[in-house]
Amino acid sequence: MERTERLLDLVALLLDAREPITWAELRESFPEDYGAPSDEAAERKFERDKAEILELGIPVAYVQGDDERKDGYVVDREKYYLPEVGLTPEELALLYAAGSAALAAEAFPGRRDLAHAMRKIGFYAGTELPSPRVRMELDAVARQEEIAPRLEVLRAASGARKWVEISYYSPRSGKTTERRVDPYGLAMRRGVWSLVGYCHLRQDIRTFHVHRIRGLKVNPAKPRSSDFEVPPGFRLEDYVASYPWQYRIEAPVEVTLTLRGDLAPLANRVFPESKAEPSAVESTVRVVATYLDGLLRYALSLGADCWVSAPADAVARWKAMAARVRSAHAAHSRGRRGNVQ
Amino acid sequence: MSDVHERLRRLLLLVPYASRRPGISVRELADALGLTEEELLQDLDLLTMVGRPPFQPDDYIDIYVENGRVHVDLDQRFSAPPRLTGSEAAALRAAADLVRPTASDALRSAIAKLEKVLPAEAREQYREMGKKVDASMEGPAELAPLAEAISVRREVTFEYFSHGRGATEARRVRPLELFSHRGQWYLFAHCLSRNDERLFRLDRVRKLTLTERTFEPLPTSRGKVPEPVSDRGQIRVRFAPALAPYMRERFGDEARPAADGSVEVSVLGDSERWLTQWILSFGGEAEVIEPAWARDAIARAAASIASLG
Repeated sequence: MERTERLLDLVALLLDAREPITWAELRESFPEDYGAPSDEAAERKFERDKAEILELGIPVAYVQGDDERKDGYVVDREKYYLPEVGLTPEELALLYAAGSAALAAEAFPGRRDLAHAMRKIGFYAGTELPSPRVRMELDAVARQEEIAPRLEVLRAASGARKWVEISYYSPRSGKTTERRVDPYGLAMRRGVWSLVGYCHLRQDIRTFHVHRIRGLKVNPAKPRSSDFEVPPGFRLEDYVASYPWQYRIEAPVEVTLTLRGDLAPLANRVFPESKAEPSAVESTVRVVATYLDGLLRYALSLGADCWVSAPADAVARWKAMAARVRSAHAAHSRGRRGNVQ
Repeated sequence: MSDVHERLRRLLLLVPYASRRPGISVRELADALGLTEEELLQDLDLLTMVGRPPFQPDDYIDIYVENGRVHVDLDQRFSAPPRLTGSEAAALRAAADLVRPTASDALRSAIAKLEKVLPAEAREQYREMGKKVDASMEGPAELAPLAEAISVRREVTFEYFSHGRGATEARRVRPLELFSHRGQWYLFAHCLSRNDERLFRLDRVRKLTLTERTFEPLPTSRGKVPEPVSDRGQIRVRFAPALAPYMRERFGDEARPAADGSVEVSVLGDSERWLTQWILSFGGEAEVIEPAWARDAIARAAASIASLG
């Protein structure tokens, strides 16, 4: 009998049973599978099946009998069936919007779990399921098709707390290093996925861009026991930068910026996580940067309605950048050379 | 995760799903389960062999297709799917973070309700996995209410700043689709003020309000969302050698190496505003080669910044 079929038969049997099913009864019910002459082999086979069923979220348990009932396996129906969650149409719609946006992206860790979870929460919703129309560009790097399977492997490894061995490429040095990493978790910021974990090479918690992982292997030994503990108090968000000035490259420096025009009332939106005093005409923002050039380039992209006002060396760098862009694009610098193939 | 696991959990959902929707079409059921019709029929074939010992005729699942519709006569107690596993709930939770605006009560309460029906055994896994994936999407506060308005088909009103007119106008629209493109969020909607389908940039939307009026999507709806990119041709951009490895990551094989170590990339012509912002964000390490209008626009923007202060 095919395994899928046997497992479903087993669930059907347990779901319908009014009293515990004994091991002897199971062997009798599935003579081809659990009726092997060696009791040990049959039991191992059943234990593997039971583990698979448990992983599906089916509450199968072994109960010790007493005067009233015999020893055996049971599935508690109350605990088995998905109850009505009681989501309002708005709540369901939001969850669907979020889920389908994530599924629309080629790479999202836990895609299959997510797709299945959405079907379950829509189970009681009738055929008229919301078809939310939200599309997100979550692909800030090329080759999403290579990133997707890595995200799945890393999610599973961090869930099971198994170490991984990665070949990690650094665009700065152009070199690839081999490292063993205890994967603590995955975070996405601005379309880029990062792995955060304990790096055995650097002996510290490090952040790795998933698209720079060239090779990936999970510790194959003892898949059901974990290799490490995540330190208490660890938070993923402490290790990933949301904005370019948050990369931890230099000592922190406080930079003052001024916004006017359209940007003035939007100070908090333009520079989140900063000290801003928004006003309709002119706003002052103070940003702590650990990567000054990241901040200056961002300021530059906002155009002439944003200027850097302190400290002096930041102002000078920002002005120098603007001057470089100007001279690169000046009419005489390249002439029509660009048209020549 | 094994294929057996994937197929099993699908089958445990398939039977109750079809049972609750008597006569659902093969097409609809396949879509709901993310399968092709062929795959669904294979699943149904397998299910006809599933039952419980002692396997008398009435012990089998009775599921069949008639005239392209699926019927379940005996579900053998597969009347509802199993509860969410910790891993499934955690995946949903991670996805929910994508649309988490600064504060959405409906999203919070939805998550709370899901957590409540998690079995105790799954709860720990859910909590563990919840700490493992953190996908945060920064989006404007209008995102969640608009997503909701689209799904429950409610008309919305807002004030919109039109660059063309240089003025703010009140709009009433039927929201159809939301999408992000190059870091910018857009709403595609049927604008009642203009009686036409339009694209709106969310960063120019103010005072968004969901009205009580619901709507049915018009059959005349084009159903195709226009690209926000205008058709101004290809823009050729050269990146300095220091940026070359990063651009290869971003653009893959579309980044063409030059002899001096720099790389060249062609992007589809977009608004002058977007292009200027994008080039400036490289702080002098990127140069537009052509066309001339783009070079001029960037030179002007850089000059106006250089003259500040």
